[in-house]
Amino acid sequence: MDRRTFLKQVALWYAGVVTTVPVFRLVSGAMAETTVKPEIMVAKGDDYAGITAAVVEKMGGISRFVKTGARVVVKPNIGWDRRPEQAADTHPLVVRALVEMALDAGAASVQVFDRTCNEERRCYQNSGIKPELEKIKDKRVKCEFIDDRKFVPVKIEHGRALREWSFYKDALEADCYINVPIAKHHGLSGLTLGLKNVMGVIGGRRGKIHHDMAQNLADLNTVIRPTLTVVDATRMLLRSGPQGGSLDDVSVRNTVLASTDPVATDAYATTLFDVKPDMLPSTVAAYKMGLGEMDLGKCRVTEL
Amino acid sequence: MNKKVFTRRARQVCQLLFLALFLFLFRQTDYTGQDTIPYAVNIFFRWDPLVAATVTLATRTLIFLLLPAFFVVGLTVLFGRVFCGWICPLGTLLDGAGHVIKPVRHPVRPKRYLKYIVLTIVLVSAGFGMQLAGWVDPFAILVRGMVIAVDPLVNALVTSGFDAIYFHGPDWMTAVSEPVYDVFKDVVLPYKQSYFLWPVISFAILAGVFALEILGRRFWCRNVCPLGAMLALISRFSFFRRKPLMACKGCGDCREKCRMQAFDDRHRMMAEECSLCLDCLEFCPKKITTFKFSMPVNKAPMDVPRRHLLGAGLTGLFLPVLVKLDAKAGNPSNRILRPPGALKETDFLKTCVRCGECMKVCIQNALQPVFFEQGLDGIFTPRLVPRLGYCEFNCTLCGQVCPTGALEQLPLAEKHAFVIGRAVFDKNRCLPYAAATPCIVCEEHCPTSEKAIQFEQVRATGPDGRTVMLKRPFVVIDRCIGCGICEKVCPVPGPAAVRVYPADVEQSASLLSGYGY
Repeated sequence: MDRRTFLKQVALWYAGVVTTVPVFRLVSGAMAETTVKPEIMVAKGDDYAGITAAVVEKMGGISRFVKTGARVVVKPNIGWDRRPEQAADTHPLVVRALVEMALDAGAASVQVFDRTCNEERRCYQNSGIKPELEKIKDKRVKCEFIDDRKFVPVKIEHGRALREWSFYKDALEADCYINVPIAKHHGLSGLTLGLKNVMGVIGGRRGKIHHDMAQNLADLNTVIRPTLTVVDATRMLLRSGPQGGSLDDVSVRNTVLASTDPVATDAYATTLFDVKPDMLPSTVAAYKMGLGEMDLGKCRVTEL
Repeated sequence: MNKKVFTRRARQVCQLLFLALFLFLFRQTDYTGQDTIPYAVNIFFRWDPLVAATVTLATRTLIFLLLPAFFVVGLTVLFGRVFCGWICPLGTLLDGAGHVIKPVRHPVRPKRYLKYIVLTIVLVSAGFGMQLAGWVDPFAILVRGMVIAVDPLVNALVTSGFDAIYFHGPDWMTAVSEPVYDVFKDVVLPYKQSYFLWPVISFAILAGVFALEILGRRFWCRNVCPLGAMLALISRFSFFRRKPLMACKGCGDCREKCRMQAFDDRHRMMAEECSLCLDCLEFCPKKITTFKFSMPVNKAPMDVPRRHLLGAGLTGLFLPVLVKLDAKAGNPSNRILRPPGALKETDFLKTCVRCGECMKVCIQNALQPVFFEQGLDGIFTPRLVPRLGYCEFNCTLCGQVCPTGALEQLPLAEKHAFVIGRAVFDKNRCLPYAAATPCIVCEEHCPTSEKAIQFEQVRATGPDGRTVMLKRPFVVIDRCIGCGICEKVCPVPGPAAVRVYPADVEQSASLLSGYGY
């Protein structure tokens, strides 16, 4: 496939996805009642691999999301050169659990990557994610650094603030995209959760995203639609985010939650910080774009 | 293989092994997944007696890091300039280049004394506090040229080839080229493309050394290299030597063919010029040449006109003073950001041998060579240029590879507290101030804990007249260490709206003591 056909296909595929959105938004309340409520699974415990497996199992098992031969992307937050206990990056055991489940489901490949903020080798190493994945010893696991050649421009047809941005090809082409953010504080946006984690698969000068962060993130999330979002709240960074550094700012919560609805996961994760979902502008913007549900009353929350 | 050819092969293998070691250590001068580099990647500088001598003279302290220099001195006392003939990677590369660059038919007369002049200027200058070794030390020229020019050049050429196939080639071609590219990346190429200031200059200096081959084989080593001069001086007292001490009358092949031109006009052997390459064992038609241990006897005088030496000594005396009289060096506006762990500026300039190791190892490509920003004394020393690359908070590599301790090896906790400079906001450019636009990318990236960049929430009037809530950043000066990540990531085009300036710590580079009050 050459680049032109690829782009065409991305545009078509993407156009197909976003054109359904306004249709969904036009559906009356009565109709929405009959649609299935978004499910949010929450599990607690200090066996991080165990609770991660538990929430996925409760969602219907990994095979609901990963078909045999699928190209899977597991997208954690590896943004910072910090250790796991500093709570700036997704916990390696949570990532590993998801990767192993995808392998068991017969994935052809499982890619794990992030466009980091600090030097990528240090981030992959010290976050513990690369060493942890190397322990799996399976050639299908690819924990590789971002290859700048793979950023391709994508027209954001239904973007309200952004018209075009470059995205990572592997993220666009994945058969199954599992978003695994860590829940933590962020100076500008308040919190960084699932919707903001898309920053790790876009190219360009990301600083510009900050000028209208909420709407920009919502726009970007019309392109990357995760099959499953798993929020790592095993440790939460409460202050000095998004990179923290001091263990005084970390609160250990031993919690993992999952949903197929990326807005609902963010809405729920917000409440862990004792903040109402509508206080996080990106959640509101994404909800208004029809990307998911932010009213937790309209979600089925199951605590395991 | 007869015995004579064997000795030549042995020497060549030894040369290639040391060249391989040199290149291996060069490649290992990088982050490899551990916070500490497991190899002594700077060993070629640390066993360099010229570096040891100049640093010791300039700082008047014995530097523990440089003790391996005694190894090379000892080796030379035993075997003469065997270092030049069997070990020096630049010498090996010049021997290799000799197969490509053919000398002019009538090689120019040896200028052996030149190297003693160079050595004298460098040593006397060092005695008066000016570090010139970096200009002429063979490893400094080689490593700097490789770091700043050759390595980035090779990487750019190779990757652009593979990129062309990746972007424009058919799928089957990419299927072949990409795995090959992966192997290249693992084995030969640096981790990523780096960019340095003025690669042309560093390349030209290194290329100049190779170009000298046109004037004769090993022209640099015989006539210019101050390390060669130093080892030559020691070799006057070395024990392992060629016999006979004269080139035979009549034949004179050894005199004609000697790559080091180690025989004077009267066919007398100058042991201090011999690099022990052992080629004369092979081509001596009478097979009377041998090498053996004996008491050092010198039949020929050294080729050093005394008047030249006197001139060199005076130059070495005046030059440091003249350079330090440069107002440029004392001008506070010209102060630059030094890497973390840098000694006080005056001591730093004396200790740094301008080898380029720190620039090589810097994982953010943040350390750049200084040129004329600070006067002559600063040339080729490292500076942090945050807009190009910032100092990675948890990285301590530059201090680990510095061969002379000009950059101290800081434990992580001390590195975290080391003040490189301080960030200052330019409110005329900073978006929340100047354009009522939300931003604070700088605050997000600030690595200290508590963050040195804080913000205040304000109500302001936007460009459209509407009231907006804004977060406006400011620096808590005592927490800022000047790592420069804020300057690097600032999304404002052109110069950043937050910039790192030298901190107010004692740093006087000239005889002018201080400034202001």
